[in-house]
Amino acid sequence: MIANLLDGIVLGLQFGLLAGGLTLVYGLGGVLNLAYGQMAVLSAMAVVLSMEAGLAPIPAVAVGLLAGGLLGLLLDLTILRPVYRLQGEARVLLSLLLTLGMAFMVDGFLTWRYPTKALTLRIGGGPVEILGVRMVRGGVVASVITILVLSGLLLFFRKTTLGRAIRSVIEDEQGARLVGIDPQRMLRLILVLTGVLAALVAVTRSLVTPVAVTAGFELTVSALIVTVVGGLGSVGGAILAGILLGIISTFAASSIGTVLSLIILLVAAAVTILIRPSGLLGVKE
Amino acid sequence: MIEDYTEGTGTAVVGGTEQRASRSLVALLWPIALVGALLSLIPLWLGDSRVMMGVAILGLTFACYAVGFNLIFGSTGQLFLCVGALAGIGGYGSAILADRVGLPLLLSILLATLASSVFGGLLSWIAVRRSLGVIFTGIITLIFSLVFGNLLLGAAGVTGGDGGFHIQSGAGTFLRQTIPPYYLMLALVIIFLLTHGLLRRSYIGWAFRALRDDEIAAELAGVNVARYRVIAAGIGAAMLGLAGSLFAFTEGTISPTTYGFAQVDVETMVLLAFGGIGTLFGPVLGAVVFTVINELIQDLGQLRLLVYGALIIALFLWVPRGIIPTLGDLIRRRK
Amino acid sequence: MLEVRGLTAGYQGGDVIRDIGFHVDEGEAVMIIGSNGAGKTSLFRAVLGLLQPSSGNVVFQGEGISGLAAQRIARLGISFVPAERHLFPRMTVQDNLALGAYPNRPDPKTMKVVLDLFPRLAERRRQHAGTMSGGEQQMLAVGRALMSEPRLLVLDEPTTGLAPKLAAEAYQALRTLKGSGLTVLVAEQQVPLAMALSDRGYVLENGVISKEGTSAELAKDPDVRRSYLGIA
Repeated sequence: MIANLLDGIVLGLQFGLLAGGLTLVYGLGGVLNLAYGQMAVLSAMAVVLSMEAGLAPIPAVAVGLLAGGLLGLLLDLTILRPVYRLQGEARVLLSLLLTLGMAFMVDGFLTWRYPTKALTLRIGGGPVEILGVRMVRGGVVASVITILVLSGLLLFFRKTTLGRAIRSVIEDEQGARLVGIDPQRMLRLILVLTGVLAALVAVTRSLVTPVAVTAGFELTVSALIVTVVGGLGSVGGAILAGILLGIISTFAASSIGTVLSLIILLVAAAVTILIRPSGLLGVKE
Repeated sequence: MIEDYTEGTGTAVVGGTEQRASRSLVALLWPIALVGALLSLIPLWLGDSRVMMGVAILGLTFACYAVGFNLIFGSTGQLFLCVGALAGIGGYGSAILADRVGLPLLLSILLATLASSVFGGLLSWIAVRRSLGVIFTGIITLIFSLVFGNLLLGAAGVTGGDGGFHIQSGAGTFLRQTIPPYYLMLALVIIFLLTHGLLRRSYIGWAFRALRDDEIAAELAGVNVARYRVIAAGIGAAMLGLAGSLFAFTEGTISPTTYGFAQVDVETMVLLAFGGIGTLFGPVLGAVVFTVINELIQDLGQLRLLVYGALIIALFLWVPRGIIPTLGDLIRRRK
Repeated sequence: MLEVRGLTAGYQGGDVIRDIGFHVDEGEAVMIIGSNGAGKTSLFRAVLGLLQPSSGNVVFQGEGISGLAAQRIARLGISFVPAERHLFPRMTVQDNLALGAYPNRPDPKTMKVVLDLFPRLAERRRQHAGTMSGGEQQMLAVGRALMSEPRLLVLDEPTTGLAPKLAAEAYQALRTLKGSGLTVLVAEQQVPLAMALSDRGYVLENGVISKEGTSAELAKDPDVRRSYLGIA
């Protein structure tokens, strides 16, 4: 029982971090990035290629993170330019469509060029014992990294001037302008940040299970569902929803089997959205 | 030559134009007859190849899907990301009823279509009750799609799961031949177009437009928004279910990927957006063009996705309202 | 300090303000009065980078600022408090004020000055801005604007939704600020309050400046007395 709980938390933290990136961009810029999963996968491929080129794991991971950040920047500079000219729902819809096109392009290219590649990182050493349960070391390390990163983000957003500035744009874009904050620059920064986060999710996930080149859409859909359940624009909500759904998923899988548990997860998500469309921690419109 | 039967749409991305439908029934009938006549010539050209006819039949099926989706999204602004699932309820539903339960073919198709319609209406009703906006409706229906897909895999005993469902019913009839199914699907396309066209002229069509453009104003004008949304979804879903089930029997084998989100929904939405959301002939134009495109890029393997993505981006950047409305604008400007 | 010439601006329907010219000298308090719909808000938006003017120019301390984006102008020493305030509702009073100083970190001395000016804000430092009353929010908006130590403070109808007592308190605070050297430009419907604060004023009617003069002159003008002071 505890084993399931802990496994669920490990899985949930991954969901949460992934969804966090997606929801942050939505909350700040009113942009839905459906190419998010592909960004994670591209970064993972960057790590794989670096390692194949001879780099040790840690520098390869650094390359991956860098790649993620660059992808975010690229997105801001290219595909999102026409999106920024719109406002509100039109902006969301166009961003959704253009990033979807982008996702197809990246997915198509990657699966064509590297059909069999997958990122797997191995952590040496045997299982770790937590609360009397033997956990896979990779999963524990992944969770620790995730928690550290999330704490870092929390501190950043609460305590630093830049972090507060970014939050203010989410709160009231006009107000942010009035105090001298440039919403476009903040959005660019966040896109780079979420790019790095996507890369990080891919890397930590590869500690637990291989991240295949085809994983893009699956990651995006998971992130999307967790985001919506948690509340669009709320990072805290994303993490909470992620952990919740991760726990439900693990419990269901262990008692019923993967397909049915997936169905249960999806239905649970749908029910949550229907009961509380604004999400667990979202703002009620 | 293709008449400009355009309507406005609810989304700001895909803008709207003034509706110019004339009251005359003939004005509706003759373009549909023309399109039908043109399409009926296809077997003369491709009839020798079973493979090519299969492609053509698939194209017509997608045209049907697109008309159904057009009714749900184009007419009343409900973003249903479960086109494949609703068609699949028709397809798998009728196959199960015919093969496993043993009901007569026609009855199976009827019941499955009804089931699709009910699910479509139900989803719409839920969305209305919970005041879900476009995006949330999309997400809920997406989840519905995913659940359906997983159900198909999970209940492998009944559905054949991943391996597919080899349908016995209808084998040996005209349904499995090379050319007759084409005319069957073509008949369906024409019926659907007629239905859509007639709806647009009716009070129901007016109600659809009213509620899509401004819900509150429509309510004040006496339109029961909830009821008409559900009606649109019910009819559209029925179309999807009917097309899905007929397709199943002409194919003979169906699998979860026949009605998957990636295979059906994405394609349907893109081809409709290309043709023109809300227009009468957008679905047909889109289906024809995309069937051709798909054939052309067949050999590219996985790179097809890349071409697809590029098409989507180009489409929504430069021709966001679709070909028919854009052409309509160009023609109007020349006058 | 601020000079506006020939400013014309509007929205898709047409121009809302036409050929506006006015100036604000250092240390002055200047009011722009006019009824609803006269164009006061559009005028400020055009001057401060929230609305692109179709013609005219705006010069602040010798530098042209017309056409600059609002966030650039904010960093030049002009702070704007719009009628809608645009506070950050889920952030604390403290954080709202701190952000006023962006991109710098808030100067503790400035913070103290602001909190002394508005003691109620000091009491509610950790309260979320969105949960405060209208009067408190107005104080917070002004306080936030002051955190960047602006040379020019621009306020659009600061007494909107305020009870008379609070409105008077707000103007008292402005008077104190003017006394310590701040230049103030205010658009106001509640003319008597603005008049007591301002040295000079302009009357905006239907998008054009119809009168200008010192407060004393305007107070004696029969049209002003009739339309804005309620004196027949």
